[in-house]
Amino acid sequence: MNWQISYLGHVWSHLRKDLQLEWRSRDSINGMLFFALLVVVVFSLAFDPTAAMSREIAGGILWVALLFASITALNQAWTREQRNRVLEAQRMAPSPASALFLGKALANFLFVALVEVVLAPLFIVFYNLHALGQGWLLWVVMPLGTWALVCNGTFFAALGLRTRNRELLLPLILFPVSIPALLGMMEATTAILTGEFEPGQWIQLLIAYNIAFTTVCLLLFETALSAE
Amino acid sequence: MERPRTLGPIGIAWFCLTLAVIVYATRMALVVAPTDALQGNVFRILYYHVPHSMLSLIFPYVNLVGSLGFLYWRRRDPLKALAADAVAISAAEVTVVYASICLLTGMLWGKVEWGIWWTWDWRLTSMLVLWLLYVSYLMLRRLSSTGQTQTLAAVLSIFAGIDVPIVYMSIRWWRTQHPSPIFFSGDPDSKLDRTMLPAFLWNLAAWAMWGVFLLTLRYLLERRRQDNEQNAALKAIEDSLELTR
Amino acid sequence: MKLSWMFGPSMEQRHLLYVYVAVWVIQGGYAAWVAWQWRRAGRDAKVGEAMPSASQEGY
Repeated sequence: MNWQISYLGHVWSHLRKDLQLEWRSRDSINGMLFFALLVVVVFSLAFDPTAAMSREIAGGILWVALLFASITALNQAWTREQRNRVLEAQRMAPSPASALFLGKALANFLFVALVEVVLAPLFIVFYNLHALGQGWLLWVVMPLGTWALVCNGTFFAALGLRTRNRELLLPLILFPVSIPALLGMMEATTAILTGEFEPGQWIQLLIAYNIAFTTVCLLLFETALSAE
Repeated sequence: MERPRTLGPIGIAWFCLTLAVIVYATRMALVVAPTDALQGNVFRILYYHVPHSMLSLIFPYVNLVGSLGFLYWRRRDPLKALAADAVAISAAEVTVVYASICLLTGMLWGKVEWGIWWTWDWRLTSMLVLWLLYVSYLMLRRLSSTGQTQTLAAVLSIFAGIDVPIVYMSIRWWRTQHPSPIFFSGDPDSKLDRTMLPAFLWNLAAWAMWGVFLLTLRYLLERRRQDNEQNAALKAIEDSLELTR
Repeated sequence: MKLSWMFGPSMEQRHLLYVYVAVWVIQGGYAAWVAWQWRRAGRDAKVGEAMPSASQEGY
């Protein structure tokens, strides 16, 4: 039987595998959700914001909470591959390495998006939020920001696979590189919530950042995977 | 691997020349250059601060070139790849040294001029992020396991190299508190006075020469370590084969 | 001494001094450290031991 799986077919296989594995235990998602919630509560205790102040800081707090929450999930995403030497098998498989990366990144994206869907109403409740700017733009900013974190995060988590102190390394190398994206997503969200300035520039930054780094990740994943 | 005999004397000559230029430039900065009308003598910090800032934006690209070279030669010519990697790590360390000095001298100057140690304006913040990026590179090198380090670090270096301009752009959009840059803006009031230019240029040259010296020294150290590692590996192989019986 | 104006109690003077001295200390210190490590690596090469390089754990 002569069957050639297209590149997207490979991506879909990897994606489906990760989704199924996660769905069976739901460890990552539950952990992320609870972690994000805790971060929100701690920040509220720290700042005790008034209604006006809430709008100023909610954007920042949301993304900080998501950042920390995704770190916990990203590390786990690859340990799954290390059990039973699955990673060696992946390296020998004929599917392109970047398809493995893309599948995993998309899976992580969906998990974090799910956390956001649950977190958003909580945010609105805790901070009595309603957007003073163009609220619908949040549907643009959230996916862009999430992808920026998840794409680089999945890549760097793979970089740290065989290092000692793996869990420590991921935030150390991810945060500096992500700073422009973090700035973009936080500023855009704050702009939308407060309506005080235009988010356009920040959205453009996010788009440019995503294009640049997604390309780099796809091109370099093969190298990173076969680093030895 | 024997290095050509002429390299030693050239190295020493460069070092002496560099020291001479540094002394001369320092003298120009402290004695010859005129006192600033607005800020007084503390302005002389500029002659050390700005050259270090400018140079700390160049060494990251030396690191990037070294990393690209490593990735290119990794499978084609391993010996060249090792040399490229040595360039990469040296440039990263020198970047961190220069960026640290830029931050430290900037803070000391800022305390006098603005009354505050720090502010999140675009220049300081961008420099801080640059410093963070290359410290994270050094951390990756320290924490990753043998055999992988060079490749992983090279990959991170590419991310960092692409990120540097994006960081600068994004943070500049975010903040505008720092006084206008002295050389590269259209604002005529912020140009460095002609009488101060020689002192500045001498210092730029001095610290650039010193940077080349540091790069070379650190490169030689790394090559030595690589040689030792290879010899140790060879010795281990020989021992296991009992060839030296 | 021509530079006597540099030494004084005002913050201007102190900070100017700190800057210049700090740069010499940091640059000189780093160069000295690299040179020392280089000599150590040379000695260990003669003894035949492996020195950790930046590509090994323990750097």
